[in-house]
Order: sequence, then C-alpha cells, then structure tokens
Amino acid sequence: MSESKSNAGLSVFALKCAVNGERTEREICSSRSLIEFIRGDLGLKGTKEGCGEGECGACMVLVDGKAVNSCLMMAVQLHGKELVTIEGIKGKGGGLHPLQKSFMTEGAVQCGFCTPGLIVASEALLRRNPGATLEDIKLELTGNLCRCTGYEKVLSAVEKARGK
Amino acid sequence: MPEIIVKPSNLKELWEMLPGLPASRRYLAGGTDIVTANNAGAESSVCWIDISGLPELAVIKETAGSLFIGSGVKISEIERSKAAARWCPALTAAIPHFASPSLRNMATLGGNAANSSPCADGVCALVAEGACALLALRGKKRRLPLKDLFLGPKRTALKKDEVILGFEIPKRPRAGAYLKLGPRAYFGISKAAVAVTAEISGGVVKRVCVALGSVAPVPLHAARTSAWLVNKKLSAETIAGASDLVKAEVSPITDARSGADYRREMCGVLLERALKSLAE
Repeated sequence: MSESKSNAGLSVFALKCAVNGERTEREICSSRSLIEFIRGDLGLKGTKEGCGEGECGACMVLVDGKAVNSCLMMAVQLHGKELVTIEGIKGKGGGLHPLQKSFMTEGAVQCGFCTPGLIVASEALLRRNPGATLEDIKLELTGNLCRCTGYEKVLSAVEKARGK
Repeated sequence: MPEIIVKPSNLKELWEMLPGLPASRRYLAGGTDIVTANNAGAESSVCWIDISGLPELAVIKETAGSLFIGSGVKISEIERSKAAARWCPALTAAIPHFASPSLRNMATLGGNAANSSPCADGVCALVAEGACALLALRGKKRRLPLKDLFLGPKRTALKKDEVILGFEIPKRPRAGAYLKLGPRAYFGISKAAVAVTAEISGGVVKRVCVALGSVAPVPLHAARTSAWLVNKKLSAETIAGASDLVKAEVSPITDARSGADYRREMCGVLLERALKSLAE
C-alpha cells in the first residue's frame, strides 16, 4: 500500500463524545482542531478564537468539567469525553445562568469577545469551589484576557454569582 | 496542521501501529506546545500520534523508594495529588507558576520534557527533585537521569519513536522551593527561575540539588553549586557564597525576554532567597 493510500484511511476519525449533554458520533477529519470542530462542524459559534496560542482564553470550553483552550486541543482528544460550550451553560429551568445574569448587571461585558471564555472559566471554578474567594477568582482567570473592562467588573460579576 | 492524527488506545497498539505510519511523525500529548509551534509554522510533521489517552502514562503511583508520575498526567492532576505534595516540594512550588489554570488542565510533564525548552517550569523543578525519566521504545525500556535528557533547545536524547513513560522521584523527606522571575506575577515566561530541594539536618546541608531555568541552553542542573553546598551550615556566608558560585555556573543569553547580565545577577538573588526560605 502506498503511503498516500494508507494516509487516506487514517485521515478520517469516528469521534464519539457528548456535546452540551447530548451524545453524538461524527466522522471528522482526524487533524481537525477542537475549535474548528466546535465552530465549523457543530456550528456552535459562541466559542471565539482570539489569539490561537493559548494566551487569551476566548476559546475556553469545558471538557469533562475542566476548562481547556479549544484552540490548542485537537478534536480527536475529545473522544469519549464530554464537551460543554457556552451554549450549554444555562441556569436552572433553561434560562440565563447566574454568571450570565451577573455579567450583565455588573457591566462586565463590553465588546463581548472574551465573555464566553470568562464565563466558562468562572463556571469551572465555581463548580469546583463554590466558596471561591476574590483571590481564587483572580488566580483562576489569569488565562483570560479582556481588553475592554479592566477586570474589576468581571471580578465583581463572578463574586456576585457565587453561591447562586 | 498535520495530514493525519492517529490515536492508539494503549502502548501495545502504539507499537503495532508505528510501521504503518508516515515516517514524518511526532507524538501529541497535551498539545499546548506542539499546536502552538504548528500555528507558528515551526512544526510540519505529516502525522501526529495522540498519546494523551494512553492509560499506561496516566498514573501516579508510589513504590517503596520512589514516586512515579506518568508522563501523561495533567499538571492540574499533579496539583491535586497528595503524594506529589508530600514527595515533590520543588515541583509543588512550581505548579502555580506553570502557565494558566486551563493550560494546566491540558499540559503534561512528558510534553514539558519532550519539548525541551530551557524555560519549562515543570522540568526545571523535576531536575531539582533528582528525577529519572523512564523511556520505552517497543519492548526496550531505559532509565535516564532527567538532566541528561536535554541536549539543547528543542533537542533531547530521545530516539525516534521513543516514548517518555514517566518520571521517578526519590522518596526522601526534604524541603524545596521554586522561585520564578517573570514579566508579571503569574502566566508569564520566566526571565530566570531557580528550583532547589535540600535535606537539612541541624542547620547543615546533607543533600541538595539546585536547578535553573531560562539561563542556559537546557534546564540546568547546577552541579558545582550543589556539590559546594553539601556539609555546609546554611549560614548567611554560605548562602552568599552559593549565590556567587551559581552566577558563574549559568550561561544566560540576551533575547526578547531579558538581558544576559540581568539574568545572571537574578540567578544569584533567586538562589539566595530560595536558600533563605529553606534555612528558616
């Protein structure tokens, strides 16, 4: 078998995972990045690509409950795991999540590009540590850049959503 | 991106898969370095082999004399490991300075080592722990002191297709420190970093290992400074002497992140602070 032929067989991957609570199985190009899979194949455009090198955190999603940068993960690495994107973060009863509400009331959203990543990172923290202190919140958000708000409003929004 | 990514489900499957893969191939672990390199045009392999799911690499286990941390264990899992907290004082101190929380959920110590960057926080600390790397290539296994794995920036002693299984850290009660000087308190790349482990009895240094990051072509084991400290009382004079000695042992460069002279000076300052913290 020639190398290109053998490569052709390996270029497709049968990916099984859960997306925002629903099990799914898809044949994907094996070299697809996770963010391409999310935005292109799943059509979930809430996740943003900012820097593409893990610095800004705009692309954060939850994989098995942990915040990861989807620009640096490959789609095959989602196999057998559970993905939650910003579209899957909802309040009880399906309405807005407490973090989404507090980001709005505290004015923590300006251009909005970093917001999905900030909410995903904050959600990962509050799930793991519902009593997170301001210092815990600051440390957890070291990987999220916002160029509009100056962070104070973001921090108070996460504090306000704590325990809700 | 590569043309293909394959995903063996265990080591046996990996070894069986290798002959059928394109010759231009590399391992993918956490992805935080290789994907960044790819996006910057510095990585062009045809095939990546995703070893992030191999169960053999995902374990932390204790034996009588050592702690084994699998190369595929995520940095955030090490952060939560009681065994690592007990036996790896320098690594434990380094982890909060390792990238950001989300990158720690992805990155692995194996990838941190295989990437062979002089500024890698995880491996600098592991060198100070006196770790050995366990390597495997098909049936053949070998053990290498971690400091000998690094040949230069992005160059290691790994053979083609050789896998880092994990790291063995000797289980000895000791103190440790990791001090990093970066552009900001967290989530920066170091200008200089110092990792130390020491066994101190009655104020006298019994065993010590000093390692430094970002001030040599490899994560540096400061052998001369470490040897000089042994059997000395950890007094202000000893600490000042070690601080002078380490400045002669490093070989920093000037680059976008810092200047060579400043880096050299800071190695002395960081080692002084680290040894003072251990003396207390």
